Parts: sequence; structure tokens; C-alpha cells
Amino acid sequence: MHARRAKMSFIKNAKEIFLQNIRDFGMYIILVVIMVLFTITTKGTFISSRNITNLINQTGYIVVLAVGMTLVIIIRHIDLSVGYLSGFLGAVAAITMVSWHLPVYVTIPLVLGFGVLAGLVNGFLVAQMKIPAFVATLAGWLLYRGALQLATMSKGTIVISNAAFIAICNGFIPDIPNIGILPGVHKLTLILGVLAIILLIINAIRDRRKMQANKFKVLPIIFFILKLVFVSALVGSISWVFATYRGLSLTGVVLLIVILFYNFIMSQTVLGRHIYAVGGNPEAAELSGISVKKITYVVFCSMGMLAALSGIMFASRLHSATTTAGTLFELDAIAAAFVGGVSMSGGIGKVTGSFIGAFVMMSLTSGMNLMGIDISLQYIVRASVLAAAVIFDVAIRNRGK
Amino acid sequence: MAEAIPVVEMRNIKKNFGAVQALCGVDLVLHHNEVLGLVGDNAAGKSTLVKILSGAYIPDGGEILIEGKKVHITSPWDARRMGIEMVYQDLALADNLDVAANVFMGREAVSTRLGPISIMDKHHMDQETQRLIDRLKIDISSVHLRVERLSGGQRQSVAIARATAFNSKVTIMDEPTAALSVAAIDKVLNLVRELKAQGSSIIIISHRLEDIYQVSDRMMVLRHGRKVLECPVVGDLDEFRERVVAYIIGARNDFAGKGVN
Repeated sequence: MHARRAKMSFIKNAKEIFLQNIRDFGMYIILVVIMVLFTITTKGTFISSRNITNLINQTGYIVVLAVGMTLVIIIRHIDLSVGYLSGFLGAVAAITMVSWHLPVYVTIPLVLGFGVLAGLVNGFLVAQMKIPAFVATLAGWLLYRGALQLATMSKGTIVISNAAFIAICNGFIPDIPNIGILPGVHKLTLILGVLAIILLIINAIRDRRKMQANKFKVLPIIFFILKLVFVSALVGSISWVFATYRGLSLTGVVLLIVILFYNFIMSQTVLGRHIYAVGGNPEAAELSGISVKKITYVVFCSMGMLAALSGIMFASRLHSATTTAGTLFELDAIAAAFVGGVSMSGGIGKVTGSFIGAFVMMSLTSGMNLMGIDISLQYIVRASVLAAAVIFDVAIRNRGK
Repeated sequence: MAEAIPVVEMRNIKKNFGAVQALCGVDLVLHHNEVLGLVGDNAAGKSTLVKILSGAYIPDGGEILIEGKKVHITSPWDARRMGIEMVYQDLALADNLDVAANVFMGREAVSTRLGPISIMDKHHMDQETQRLIDRLKIDISSVHLRVERLSGGQRQSVAIARATAFNSKVTIMDEPTAALSVAAIDKVLNLVRELKAQGSSIIIISHRLEDIYQVSDRMMVLRHGRKVLECPVVGDLDEFRERVVAYIIGARNDFAGKGVN
């Protein structure tokens, strides 16, 4: 009897937890399904360390944009200008290094600064002039497209030869010297992975203790353990995949920093809380003493800075600045954000979700490329995934009401 | 004598919107630990009057005294600094945030400051919110519930709790029971009584005379931007209603203390 009742309550709890977090679970399930599917259809090539590492390196510049776009969409705006802004600033980076002979450590802060400046302009148009973001940033889209063509006009493609700059999106973290164990495996990557898992577990336990001390409801212990096991396994297997190729790529490092930083801002700081408040109810936020204008500026400036970073990453990846750099990046970033659970109606979305969203979309491209599926079909499949994600979102929200 | 100084005194308040005289010299007095009901037909000037007090409008004439001191209120933030909190009719809550986040919206507790970045003290906010809803006997199962998942009455309770959470001197409620179910209205009125029992001073606007009757100590009636009645709330409901309605619709207009024009 007891065992049966315990089992019943387990199932009931599981169902409740699943329903409460259906969007997060749904996304992870989709990701796992896609990865398993492609692993089977490509006979293992898809899941190979080499392919996954390349996938991360190719997704990097979209993920960075998607993170910024997440914040923009959370406060109910959109930024269409960031694709060509990214391309243009990549060209600016190339010119400062190739033509002006400025060193990398000057070039990168300079270009990031230009990005913030571009964001300031968008912020001014949207927050100060009250121009709808769609129109204001569409103007930016045209402007930066023109600027990019102007910048690359004389040479067509500006080839970058600076090794440090190229390393950003092609390099890997160094390894500790070989000590005889695990030959061929990148040991520093593994060590970092283990450290990350330990930190995650300590953090989760500390948080749970604090919640319990204050008599707040926490996950039943069995689910808490299951969650920790799942997350640890995920982090562990990702580190293993990296470690068996060439270790953690520098793109991976950049992404980790960006995602962890933005996730921290959005979930732990007053600024993040204010961004969500402005997205949820701008009038209420304003009445509560939050300056909607200031938040709008901050969000567009962060978007501009991330567009600059994205431009640097793309130029680094290609070893050059090209006339077409940044084409359609903004739409890929927007799609990634929506697949990752950001809502057009504002106030809803997570930075980590958008990362997974970008990863899902890029996995689709990579997997279908490996399978040799025609590009036209690829678009249709990606369209279906995007539509399905949004339909799923709307369905959940309506059920909640 | 400190007891005798009203917490709020508005004298001869005037406000025009273009050619329309919304308020033509209205006086309002609110004493400590008093619930003042404010009634009147649509466009009688009730909302305009409280919006002046809460800083949303700036009056064209008259003066405002808070605890005997003359003040100039030019924005909602000014008003809030002086301890005047308004519960808006259209529920100024963010649906996407949880109860604790809404209660602390705009005044988040900070644990660490790193330059421009302030880390929130979430546990403190959760605890304080839990204490607040326990103290006001608000029926919400968890402070971590998103506001969109609450019922209308619960949402209104959160909005009111939020307004009273930070030692406000005066809480203004504009139609707190509009668009609520009967059960939810009872809950909100109980909350108003609870607040009064704990020492709050409250101005409440409502179309529902029975609400005013149930919770107010005193009431005033506005009509066409003038005060046409001010009286303690006494007697039985039917008699009260009949008398007040007569003043609201202008059938009677013989109140001695009528404001100077």
C-alpha cells in the first residue's frame, strides 16, 4: 500500500513539475530529439566531437545576437539593424587593423564602443523620439548595409592576417602538459567541466537550504537529485565532447562569458528585474519609479555592443570582412529567440533559452547539410520548427488562462 | 494636539482641462487612521482629485498639506516620497513577475552593489512579502506565484498590499472593487478593514455605495467638480444610500459646508 501511494505521489509530482516547466522541458526534448535523429541519419557524424565543436563555432555569432535580441524583445521592441551592423562593424575592425595598423587590444574595445554608440542611436529614436522600433531599426538596417558596402568597396574583401584576432573564432584554450593519463584528451577542458559541475551542485544545495530555512516550497528531494544528475550529465558530456577533439574553443569561452553574464544580470540584479518589469507592464513599471526610457537605452546599447561582438566573431571566423557579412543575421537571431521561448507580447524569455534556440536552429542546418538535404527543404523544415515553437507557446499561455 | 492635525489636507483645489472645469475649489481632509469614501457620478472629479494628490496631475489652484506641512507634488515619485501611495484602477502589476517581485517593483532590496550593478536580495524580498501577506491575511499560497495566475481579487490584494508595504502615510484606492466577483469584493473590503485596524489612513473611491458604507468612517460626494456632501457614515444602508444618491444625481443640493467657488 505504502509503496503504491508513494509511487502515485511521485507520478503526480512529476506531472505537476513537468506541466509547470513544460516550455523549458519541451525545448530540451526537441534538442535531444533533433540530435538523436541526426546522429542516426548521419551514422554518428553529427554527434562527433569535431562536428559539435564546429557547430558551436559557427553558431557563436548568432547566439551573441540572440542574447541581445532576447532583451530587446522582452521590452517589447525589435532590432532589425543588428545584422548589417554586425557586418559593418566587422569591416570596421578589419580596416582598423589592416589599414590603420591598430593592435587587436585597441581594435576590439574600439569596435565594441562603436556598437554601443549605434545602440545609443537606436535607443534615442525609440525611447526619446518614440519611433516604433521596427521602423527606426529598419532605417538602421538600410544605413548599415550601405555603410558596409562603402567600407568594403575598394577591396571587396578585406583579408585579416592578425593571428590573435583570427584565434577568437578558430582557436582553442591551451592544455596542461601531458602527464601520461588520458592521452589525446584535452585535460584542462575536462577539469573545467568537473569544476563547473561541482560549483553547480554546491550552488543548488546552498540555494535549497536557504529556501528551506525560510520555509519556502522546494522541489521534492528526488526531483532535486534527478535535476542535478541531469544537469551534471549534460555539462559532463559537453565537456567530454569538447575534450576529445581539441578542447574548449575560444568561441565557446566567449559564449560562456556572454551567456553567464547576461543570465546573471537578468536573474540576479535589479537591472534585470527592471527589464522584465518594463516588458511585463511598462505603465506599471513607470508608476513604480522605474525609468522605461533608461531601460530602453540600456537594452539597445547592450544590443549594439553584442552586434559589434558578433561582427568581430564573424570576421574572425572567416579571416576577413566581406560585402555580404551579416546578411540575415538579425532574422536568425530573432528566430533563435522565439524558438528559445521569448514572447512577442513582452516580459517573457530567458537568455539560456535563446542559446538553446540558436543551437536548435543551427543543429538543424548542420544536420541537414550532413545528410545532403536540399537547401530549399532546409528552409521549410526550419520554418516548421519555428512555427511549432511559437504555436506551442501560445497554446501553453492560453491554457494558463 | 498632534492628533488633531490631519494627515492630508487639500484646500480649494482647482483643475481645468481646457475649457472644462474638472474641479472648482474642492477641500478634502483625511485624518489619521481614517477611511474616507469618495463618491460621485462619472466626471464628477473624484479621480482628478486623487490624481492630484498622487502626483499624476498638477492642480491649477489650491494647496496641499501633508501632516500640516505645505507640499508641492509634481510627480508620482514626489507623492511616493511623501508617503502617498495609489492603487490604480487598472491594476499596476506586471503579470510576468511573481508576487514578491511585484510587491518590491521599483524598490528591490539590494544585497551587494558592484558599481552600476546591484545584486538583489531575493530571499529578503520573499520573506518580507510572505510576512506582509500573512499580516494582511491575504489568501495566496506562494509568493513565487506569477501574478497572471492569480484571481482578480488576489491581484487586487497584491496591488493594495504593495501600496501599503513601505510605511505609507496614505493609501488611495481608485475603484478597488470594480470588475471583481462578489467573493473577491468581500476579500478586498476585509483587507481595507485590516489595514485600518493596523493604523492606515485610506481614501477609497467607489461606484458601489455599499462598499463605501461597509468600510468608511466618513464620506464625501462630488458633483460637477464641487463638494456637495460631507458626512460621517452612520445609519442603516438603505437610508444612507437614498440620501447619498440624491446628492450624487443632484436631486438635493443643500449641503451647508459646500466649498467656496
